[in-house]
Amino acid sequence: MSKQFRAAISYAAIAVCSLLLAILLILLVGCDVGKAFYGFFNGILGSSYSVAEVFVKAAPLILAGLGVAVAFKSGFTNIGAEGQLYMGAVAFTATYVLCPGLPKAALLALGILAGFLAGGVWALIPGALKARFGISEVINTIMLNYIALGIVGILLQTALKDRAQYFPVSPTLDDGLGFSRLLKGTRLHSGILIALVCAVIVYFFIFKTSMGFRLRAVGMNPRACKCMGISVSAGLIVSSLLSGGLAGIAGVGEIAGLHHRLIGGISPSYGYLAIIVALLGGNHPLGVVIAATGIAALQVGALAMQRAANVPSAIASIIMGAVVLLILARKTLFKRLLREED
Amino acid sequence: MMALLEMRHIDKLFFGRYANRDVSLQVQKGEIHALLGENGAGKTTLMNILYGIYRRDGGEIFWRGEAADFLSPKDAIEKNIGMVHQHFMLVPTLTVAENITLGLREKGYPFTDRAALSARVAAISEKYGLLVEPGALISSLSVGERQRVEIIKLLYRGAELLILDEPTAVLTPGETAGFFNVLKRLRADGCSVIIITHRIPEVMEIADRVTVLRDTRCVFSAPIAELDEIKLSEHMIGRELAPPTRGKATAAGGEGLVLAGIGLQENGIQRLRDVTFSARPGEILGIAGVDGNGQKALAETIMGIRRPTAGEISLGGRSLAGLSVAARKALGMAYISDDRHEDGLVLDMDLAENLLLKFNRDKRYASRGLIDQKRVLQKLREAVGEYDIRAPSLRVPIRYLSGGNQQKLILARELSDHPQVIVAFQPTRGLDIGASEFIRQQLLAHREMGARVLLISADLEEIRALSDRIAVIHKGCIMGIRDNSDDLDMTEIGLMMAGNPAGEVRAG
Repeated sequence: MSKQFRAAISYAAIAVCSLLLAILLILLVGCDVGKAFYGFFNGILGSSYSVAEVFVKAAPLILAGLGVAVAFKSGFTNIGAEGQLYMGAVAFTATYVLCPGLPKAALLALGILAGFLAGGVWALIPGALKARFGISEVINTIMLNYIALGIVGILLQTALKDRAQYFPVSPTLDDGLGFSRLLKGTRLHSGILIALVCAVIVYFFIFKTSMGFRLRAVGMNPRACKCMGISVSAGLIVSSLLSGGLAGIAGVGEIAGLHHRLIGGISPSYGYLAIIVALLGGNHPLGVVIAATGIAALQVGALAMQRAANVPSAIASIIMGAVVLLILARKTLFKRLLREED
Repeated sequence: MMALLEMRHIDKLFFGRYANRDVSLQVQKGEIHALLGENGAGKTTLMNILYGIYRRDGGEIFWRGEAADFLSPKDAIEKNIGMVHQHFMLVPTLTVAENITLGLREKGYPFTDRAALSARVAAISEKYGLLVEPGALISSLSVGERQRVEIIKLLYRGAELLILDEPTAVLTPGETAGFFNVLKRLRADGCSVIIITHRIPEVMEIADRVTVLRDTRCVFSAPIAELDEIKLSEHMIGRELAPPTRGKATAAGGEGLVLAGIGLQENGIQRLRDVTFSARPGEILGIAGVDGNGQKALAETIMGIRRPTAGEISLGGRSLAGLSVAARKALGMAYISDDRHEDGLVLDMDLAENLLLKFNRDKRYASRGLIDQKRVLQKLREAVGEYDIRAPSLRVPIRYLSGGNQQKLILARELSDHPQVIVAFQPTRGLDIGASEFIRQQLLAHREMGARVLLISADLEEIRALSDRIAVIHKGCIMGIRDNSDDLDMTEIGLMMAGNPAGEVRAG
């Protein structure tokens, strides 16, 4: 048996385990398993709208997941994609609110740049603190998530509030200025294309450029980098900026492609899911794209399952947690199968 | 008589290449058995198979006459086989007794009687002359003491066969003698020991029987009584050995690497004090000294990894003050660290990427920020050919190369482009005869090409064989510098290593 085949078997076993767990949970809440599964898959593949919905959710997951993966590659544990995503969304909103009358291309270019920088700076703060003073980035990135949410709340009551509205929402982006719709009758917007382009760029950057090489080296052995004259601080700063910037673009996409205005809850924890995406994707751009699409499908399917068979969509979260655990524990669980040491 | 351990026709492949091929080994009860071979010969692999870390691809293992198959070290320990790895597996923040009993559920767990445990540890330590204080923190112990803790750990678990991987590599000559006494006591007590080594004199001194591995195969096994050192070395490297010869002095005129009054203070500790010397072009300056006397601080200060708090370093008349590590490397300063795993390599990167650690900003291999894979691979192929680096493939993580081959890659990287200065810090540490010989020849070759070579080593033999002049370092101070002539006063060097300044020795 080849090594790849053994690995494939172990993944298949994980899939079967998750499926059994799903069936168990559905039975536990007293629902019809057949109906639930029909609802799940029909919700993903049933119509062009549902397929499109998967990619609507995949776009921010890919972008934020790429960001987290870049950070992880350089040894920067970025837990703050959520906050960085919101800062990107704020920056894009501020751009169209403050510069009315810009043509679409200029607005989008400026807005994406602003979103990238806002998210990037938000990650750069803990990045610089780590590079300069060696302060743990884990706590700092989490704390900055709360600050970012607080800033969004304050801005929606003040500078970015739509005066005509009673609720805390920003002015709406004018029709035709946001990301183009890709498919009529669906919510699919060109954010997914931007995400895929970013995945290619990140792959190229990480594996083909000398800067990307230095980032990876810093992530794997900072001590050797120091001895070889590769700056660990520079690596951390570049990777945190890029990492936060990618999450920031995810935030831009949610406003420009989907909501067309800033509201309090634009992200259903995309920034946290992004960590799982990076983990499952092995911190590789291609893996991130696949993992993000998978998780997006799981979420879309779960919601459909809830509608069709009245199964709580929380089951999807449980399954996702279980899958992550199983994948992380894979090498131990399947020790005998994978015994061929690498 | 039935052998305690028998391994028959063991095969092991990594990435489709043999690491062990048809290797057999027989160990009797109460025997010290040396497993001799160059690095990469497959000694450690064989023992890792026995210990349940790797799984064999072919062959059989018999333990006390019964077919045995250990799936993990835990299995092996249960059957009274214990192994001390080259890199110790101890928790530095715990005490000796805590480390020894780590993972065991003693009577009364979790309310273990710590005093009783410590007494048991003390009893074992007394019995075999393994002197350590059970209550001391591991972090406060010397390397030799840590090794004793590792051995006690195994004896505490009832090991009857101890596997020791290069146990003497980390010991001073004095400690080695004490360590051999421990082995003799273990033997007298009926324990068997497999000692993995590439040092022939040690095999002659301590072993009862030797098995020689060469190039993944078992080439020879015999009782020590029938052998002598020369015969053994021929079995081991498969040819006769040519010791490096230094040739006549090649030191040229011109400005060297000059250190003037270098001091280094870190966290209130004076690591270096008033270090002054110069290494001329075409000269090897040996820095002798007992390990841990500021050698690392010296090497890293010269390379710019640490900043001196006093004095100045200049190269060719130009001050190096304020220059980064990268800038110094660009001036042709090469560094071979004593710790290749931590300082010299990124173990999870492949061979080409480890070369790139140096060349990632070099116009020849990276233009406009893009790595030129073709040129890097071409450079790597040249290096692999020139330095005879043996790797299963050029794309494996360098982790899977033997120590000697890893060091050769570092050499290929650091010695390319005619370095002006070579700081070689314990360049042959842990390497076998063949690889050491090669590395010494390389240093001599660069001496002839006019490099300023600083050879920092605790191995006095090596210093004497290669250096034009010898400086002695003690507690961060240079005690004196002597020409390395045939009538060099070794007693004086020894006294300087123990902390007596050169002048006083003469006067006394």
